[in-house]
Amino acid sequence: MRDDAEAVQAASALLAEEAAAVDERRWDDWLALYLPDCEYWTPCWKDDDELCADPRSELSHVYYRGRAGLEDRVWRIRSGKSPASRPMPRTLHTIANVRVRALGDGRLEVASNWTNHVFSLRTRDTEVFFGRYEHTLAPGDGGLRIARKKIVLLNDLIPTYIDVYQL
Amino acid sequence: MRAESGIEPVHDFSRYLDDRPQDGVFRVHRALYTDPELFELELRYVWERTWVFLGLATQVRDPHDYLTGWIGRQPVLVMRDAGGRIGAFLNSCRHRGARLCASESGNRKYLVCPYHGWAYDSWGRNVALKDHQHGCYAPAFDAEDHDLVPLPRFESYKGLLFGCLDAEVEPLESHLGEARFFVDLVMDQGANGMEFVPGRMKYMYRGNWKLQAENNLDNYHLTSTHPSFMEVVKRRREGESANEQVRSPDFAQRLSRESGMFTFRNGIAAIWVRNPAPQDRPLHRGIEAVRRRVGELRAEWMLNLRNLHVYPSVQLADSTSLIIRTIRPLAVDRTEIGIHCLAPVGEDAESREMRIRQHEDFFGASGLANPDDSVTYEDCQIGSPPGVLDWHQGYDRGMTATLAGANDLAREFGISPVTSLRGPFKIQNETVFHAGHREWLRLMSEGASRERRR
Repeated sequence: MRDDAEAVQAASALLAEEAAAVDERRWDDWLALYLPDCEYWTPCWKDDDELCADPRSELSHVYYRGRAGLEDRVWRIRSGKSPASRPMPRTLHTIANVRVRALGDGRLEVASNWTNHVFSLRTRDTEVFFGRYEHTLAPGDGGLRIARKKIVLLNDLIPTYIDVYQL
Repeated sequence: MRAESGIEPVHDFSRYLDDRPQDGVFRVHRALYTDPELFELELRYVWERTWVFLGLATQVRDPHDYLTGWIGRQPVLVMRDAGGRIGAFLNSCRHRGARLCASESGNRKYLVCPYHGWAYDSWGRNVALKDHQHGCYAPAFDAEDHDLVPLPRFESYKGLLFGCLDAEVEPLESHLGEARFFVDLVMDQGANGMEFVPGRMKYMYRGNWKLQAENNLDNYHLTSTHPSFMEVVKRRREGESANEQVRSPDFAQRLSRESGMFTFRNGIAAIWVRNPAPQDRPLHRGIEAVRRRVGELRAEWMLNLRNLHVYPSVQLADSTSLIIRTIRPLAVDRTEIGIHCLAPVGEDAESREMRIRQHEDFFGASGLANPDDSVTYEDCQIGSPPGVLDWHQGYDRGMTATLAGANDLAREFGISPVTSLRGPFKIQNETVFHAGHREWLRLMSEGASRERRR
């Protein structure tokens, strides 16, 4: 993928497909976008100015080495046994300002901004979560797949709870 | 109820608690969770009259380190000065009352008010009053004290910092009283003290603060609120989930274990369960050294499962991974929660990561269990508006198993609780909640009658 415009287009398409899969609750499609040995990471803030940098010695909201952690979450959402996701809120992710850097061997480093409007059917309240994404995309079965995703949540005084569909 | 002065108190709060042990009855009025007027009185009579947790001494390790917090309605500042003393003050400039520190923590030798530039050192002394010499102040102004206002009481126990806005409160150590046994089981886990693992976990729920106060001591909700967490853990253990990164406790094993509770003075209470799998705890790896330091009994009980509530503001919970949970009441139907991962200073890297992964798996706004608690609090708030029904039910669960005073286990611990209970997990008693509600009544009644006398 030598052409920058082509890389941006491919990356944007994958990010849009990921957002759509979550918003439409197509969980199998969503999981299939991740490589089995992916890293999924939402660090906590260390203080008002600094993000946690080392998930082995500092807290994360979510940290998984491997897709199995995401599969646990999808199982829990689908189980109907978690009051937090029963009923499921409606979500709408919007991703913008996509910037791409080619890493060689077909891998792409992608930075973007995100907002997520969440309508809670439980409380009838609307909340907005927002932040930055960093994706590392790599060639996989059927095209580009997510090797790493870091989610920076900027409004981290959280109303009630967050799960992968609020991020 | 008549105050000592003979003047009727503002409220007769006893009508909100139907507490008749001789009849086997304990009922709590729904207004405790929903009445905005009661909430305003609680801030004054409960939160601003008793000890409130502010942080750990290890959070202000170095000179000029500070942290901020709240006691009831008041913004509070805790600082270590140049000489190493820790002081606690109202986070409020003496001039127009602007908050001096907006951050939760930091390091500043001088605090300069952003409004008119009055400056304070880290012991709270006013060191500069901008353009003072040109101010044409009358002598009466210069005779006033312009330093930050220290909290009427500020004390620590084993590195836990507490403040109180009422100078007449009993000393912290005697306030904690017999419950210190359970505090020690937490704070003595590290040979060199305890610290928070870096990383902020804060969230708000739309419900009254007492819902969290109770839930920490509530074994009854486990199998109905958290079945998804329990099954995820089971799936991992049975290989149906490929997630090998975290080994969280299997709650199902606990349902057949012995459990119990103690209540103490001042609304303090604890629950416990014998741990079926002590090897799954991060403390287990170094337990031999702990045993040599604290003895057989305490080491065993550090591995057992215990949740303590130091009413009203802080919970030391050690039933999944070790946390300190802070409660801040924002409104009658709005509460802010902080979840801190507590760990021994100098813990080995492998145990530390095990601790962190267990913490994230269960706790915080993003855990696999904590969110299920938070949304049920919100359902309680939505489902019990004032007006029709008066009383919550079920606080009598465990009544016939609850002893006044010490049971045999308390005697083994060498402590004298107010009430004790010991038995199969499935009792899942609610008598442990009585302590907090009785303390609420005591503080509310005393606060009202004292205010009336002034």
